[in-house]
Amino acid sequence: MKARLAPALFLGLPTAFLVALFVLPLLSMLVLSVWRTESYHIIREFNLGNYHVLATEGAYMTFLVRSLVMASVVSLICTALAWPIAYAIILYGGRYRLLLTLGFAVPFLTGEVLRIIALQGLLGPIGLLNGVLMALGAAPLRVIMYTNVASAIGLVYLYLPIVVTVIYLSLLNFDQRLIDAAKIFGASPARAFIEVTWPLNLFGTLIGFALCFIPCLSATLAPRFLGGPNGTLYGMAMAQQFGESGTWALGAAMGVVLFAVSVLLVVIVARLVDLRRTGFTGFGRG
Amino acid sequence: MTHSKCSPFDTAVPSATSINRRTVLKTLAAGAATAIAAPYIRPASAAPAQLRALMWEVYAVPEIVGAFEEKHKIKFSPTFFDGNSEAYNKLRVGGTKDFDLVQADGFWPGLYFREKLIRAIDYGKIPNTANVYPVFKPERYKLLTDEANGQHFGVTWCWGSYGTTYNTAGMPKEKVQSIEALFDPAFSGRLATSARFEENIALAGILVATRMGTKDKPRPDGKSFNPYVLTDEELAEVEKLLIQQKPLLLTRYQDNTTLQQLLESGAIVAAPEFAQVYRVLTQKKEKGEIDLDFAHQLVPKEGGLGWVDTWLVTSGVTDPAMLDICHDFMNTFLAPENIKKISLVAGSSATIDLRAISTPEEQKLFLMDRTEELASMYMFDQPSSPEKWERVWSRMQAA
Repeated sequence: MKARLAPALFLGLPTAFLVALFVLPLLSMLVLSVWRTESYHIIREFNLGNYHVLATEGAYMTFLVRSLVMASVVSLICTALAWPIAYAIILYGGRYRLLLTLGFAVPFLTGEVLRIIALQGLLGPIGLLNGVLMALGAAPLRVIMYTNVASAIGLVYLYLPIVVTVIYLSLLNFDQRLIDAAKIFGASPARAFIEVTWPLNLFGTLIGFALCFIPCLSATLAPRFLGGPNGTLYGMAMAQQFGESGTWALGAAMGVVLFAVSVLLVVIVARLVDLRRTGFTGFGRG
Repeated sequence: MTHSKCSPFDTAVPSATSINRRTVLKTLAAGAATAIAAPYIRPASAAPAQLRALMWEVYAVPEIVGAFEEKHKIKFSPTFFDGNSEAYNKLRVGGTKDFDLVQADGFWPGLYFREKLIRAIDYGKIPNTANVYPVFKPERYKLLTDEANGQHFGVTWCWGSYGTTYNTAGMPKEKVQSIEALFDPAFSGRLATSARFEENIALAGILVATRMGTKDKPRPDGKSFNPYVLTDEELAEVEKLLIQQKPLLLTRYQDNTTLQQLLESGAIVAAPEFAQVYRVLTQKKEKGEIDLDFAHQLVPKEGGLGWVDTWLVTSGVTDPAMLDICHDFMNTFLAPENIKKISLVAGSSATIDLRAISTPEEQKLFLMDRTEELASMYMFDQPSSPEKWERVWSRMQAA
């Protein structure tokens, strides 16, 4: 009895949770996306007009492409920065490893809005950076004031801690003796890294990349507060539909498209990468 | 001695029939249901415990709200919104049951009333409404009175325009008298506008209709020109104009603090706003905290946008006791000493005549002698087609 109850409980509760809070809202989005809005009223008539608008109005495609580029760049930067940071913590952190890693979580103790607004102040016209420049008699750096560069800086600031933590955990569980073995067999430190450390931590790296890439794809706050007139990204445009413009059905269709794009990207990565050779142990020993 | 139906021993002796698993489950279920429902159930005679308001954050002045809570032994629970359409969306999806009071401006109260989201109110129970300037009295300000039955459904408390605040050293006065100034390449990179899509399009619409000569000609709807009801041709021109404006803008500000920083630092020289930032900057100048000099163009020569903020009572308020509290809250809000505090905190001009309790500087700063100019402004309104306006805005953002 107990043997049957435990798996039912442990798998049943998360399943119920996912169905109630993920599948059902997603389905309601799907339904809303095939209705339409007219002057803030939802007209419950099946039609694919919203998808037609998304396919034919170049603006929405522009937002999506901008978001894909932004998410890719930010995720690459985060990964490139996170690796040496996580590796340094593992190698030199000693008994402060945990403390150093937790240090990266400190920004999460404040809200995302607060962090972005603080960054807006830092990068803005009377922020720390431009304030110092102007005090020194130099011109303010316009490239960090309300531009896509400013958005990218904001997104890196928001998601770098996540990527560092994921890669750190991957390295923590990595058997360091394999590097020693590689070195004993004559591999240089660089070769040991390229042929042992990197591939065996690729799965953790991919998870870190994905945990940065997916939220960047739907980022709203960073482009809104930092992006400037040319910084509208897909997530921001989508949020607009549910806010002031009241075109909820179009927003729902944008959400469905975003979900489909995200799933497609994950599938592509999963097909391109052989998970068995990336340090992923979820397949068991068989 | 007769036996009672239940002897003292009965309760002490466990009985398989008196308590079983089903009884326990039923009792637990009833208890849980009562516990969950308790906060929502109160006797009909009980006084309301909470006043829920859907409002702009800046007007929730703790001192005034606290005194009202103390007076009525009630909790004031505000929920904040950014724009009318957001509040409208909230009310339409069941918000009339979640809120007792709501704020709105321009034509929005009329829309709310037509859609039965708000209810009629009694000015007789809000005696401070007698102190509003003539231009806000129901005889002249008709947007809060139902045309069909003459019922009133809102009270005004502050007003303003979407005029242009500018740095007098950076932009000549004669330039800023026209909306053209906000589209002038001479100020490239030194302009900003708000992120509100309705007002950006409507303001550009006034300029476009002026340029096209369609503003004073007969309109397709037979009414006089309203920048929130633009023809497709005018909208197409608005889109072009907004795209041309993009490279001239440093940003579209999201909040007044950002705008203040932009103006104060000299990063921009002009931006349309509700005069709130202008008042903050003017006061800082008077205190010697900044050197730059700022002015505010209330209404451009082509015509400008105006707004009057109002308090409304949602249709969810049916309890007479709650309605009385709503009336008293609005009356408290409109009391001259209170509305002056709110004005100073929010940087907004009051609809109540406060000249008797204001200094000459305050009278000038809060435009107390210029309320009549409201009559020449186009009131904030609902876009004739939010769908078409959204496309215009998206295409501009993507360009």
